[in-house]
Amino acid sequence: MIEQFLGLLLALVDQTGLMSITPGNLLMIVVGGVLIYLALAKKYEPFLLIGIGFSCIVANVPGSDLTAPGGLFHYAYSGLEKVIIPPLIFLGVGAMVDFGPMIARPSLMILGAAAHAGIFIAIILAKATGMFTIAEAGAIGIIGGADGPMAIFVTMKLAPHLLPQVAVAAYSYMALMPLIQPPVMKLLTTKAERSIEMTQIRHVTRLEKIVFPFVIAIIVNLLLPPVAPLITMLMLGNLLREVLMVERLAKTVANDLMNVITIILTVAVGSTMAAETFLTFKTLLILGLGLIAFIGGTASGVIGAKMMNWFLKDKINPLLGSAGIASVPIAARVAHVVALKENPYNFIIMHAMGPNLAGVFGTAISGGIMLALLGVK
Amino acid sequence: MEIVPMTVPDTLEGAYVLSVVDFFLSIVIIWAISLVLYLLPYLNKLGDVTDESLKGGH
Repeated sequence: MIEQFLGLLLALVDQTGLMSITPGNLLMIVVGGVLIYLALAKKYEPFLLIGIGFSCIVANVPGSDLTAPGGLFHYAYSGLEKVIIPPLIFLGVGAMVDFGPMIARPSLMILGAAAHAGIFIAIILAKATGMFTIAEAGAIGIIGGADGPMAIFVTMKLAPHLLPQVAVAAYSYMALMPLIQPPVMKLLTTKAERSIEMTQIRHVTRLEKIVFPFVIAIIVNLLLPPVAPLITMLMLGNLLREVLMVERLAKTVANDLMNVITIILTVAVGSTMAAETFLTFKTLLILGLGLIAFIGGTASGVIGAKMMNWFLKDKINPLLGSAGIASVPIAARVAHVVALKENPYNFIIMHAMGPNLAGVFGTAISGGIMLALLGVK
Repeated sequence: MEIVPMTVPDTLEGAYVLSVVDFFLSIVIIWAISLVLYLLPYLNKLGDVTDESLKGGH
């Protein structure tokens, strides 16, 4: 009788994950807990880190088939695998963003490209380690684009097995930009440069804002087909916003759809953080290279703005260059806060939004050219 | 001389080539886009589109 009972108990235990939990799983559960702590206690990107942290914990509890093929979380991952989720996020972002500051001052767009040297520094360093293929190096480099959906999009095309590391690095460093960027910005500028006041930007009419998405969608589809799905959806979302006539659709895309997609995205990313794939030396390297990419991008943006000043009569505040790294609107806000510390009457947020929005295109263009050069469609 | 499309080799030199070409082309393309944006204000000569006319059209 007792033997029978113990046998049944053993069979029951076998059904659970208790016997297959590893120290790696326990460590990753702690990592998931840290992400949730950062979200709740430090308020670092709670919309992303809560979902990622929770599903990271669940993915490391053996037993259920939630993350296995056929499991619910696996279907969320399929949305990334088939590259459906990142364009939908861009649709929502497009409906939320006013491109007016960028249209008003196109000369600052160049900073959206200048602030992406970090991508290439990371690619070269990743390849120099001898541990990554050039496709993997490209996926690591795009972390420096400071654009989550674009990082996921390019990584899924170049090195899908690196998705958890790249996504975690990209979103973590974006959340930490208020800590990462200011020391670099201060190191490369003088107090006088940081105090430069910008002239008022012109008013952008409704007609210009409506034509803008068509112009960009045509240019990107023509010149950069690999990233056309992302930018096309970004422009569609923006068109819905700017025509004013379909407010219901614009609001749905910017709010409800965006929220649903965010939940699916975070579950998908977190569920890939299983110990056996995440706990490697390569992960540490990727996190380090991602940080270098962010620092390099911030530095090159500031240097680019200073170089522009060699040719400009009305000097621009070089802090605007750091906003070119993308990560809308965090980078623009960081530039604004650093400028305010030097001069409490210097409000550069709207000026910084121009290069900041151009940074989204800068990342997309860099990613598109990279995919094309590596022969990926 | 026939020029055939090729991809970047999987070497450190390939990474240098990829980086230089990508960075240079990114600057050129974004500069070209900015030039196109300079033309947008000329659209306003075609007429005025007011927010009220758009909101009232649905």
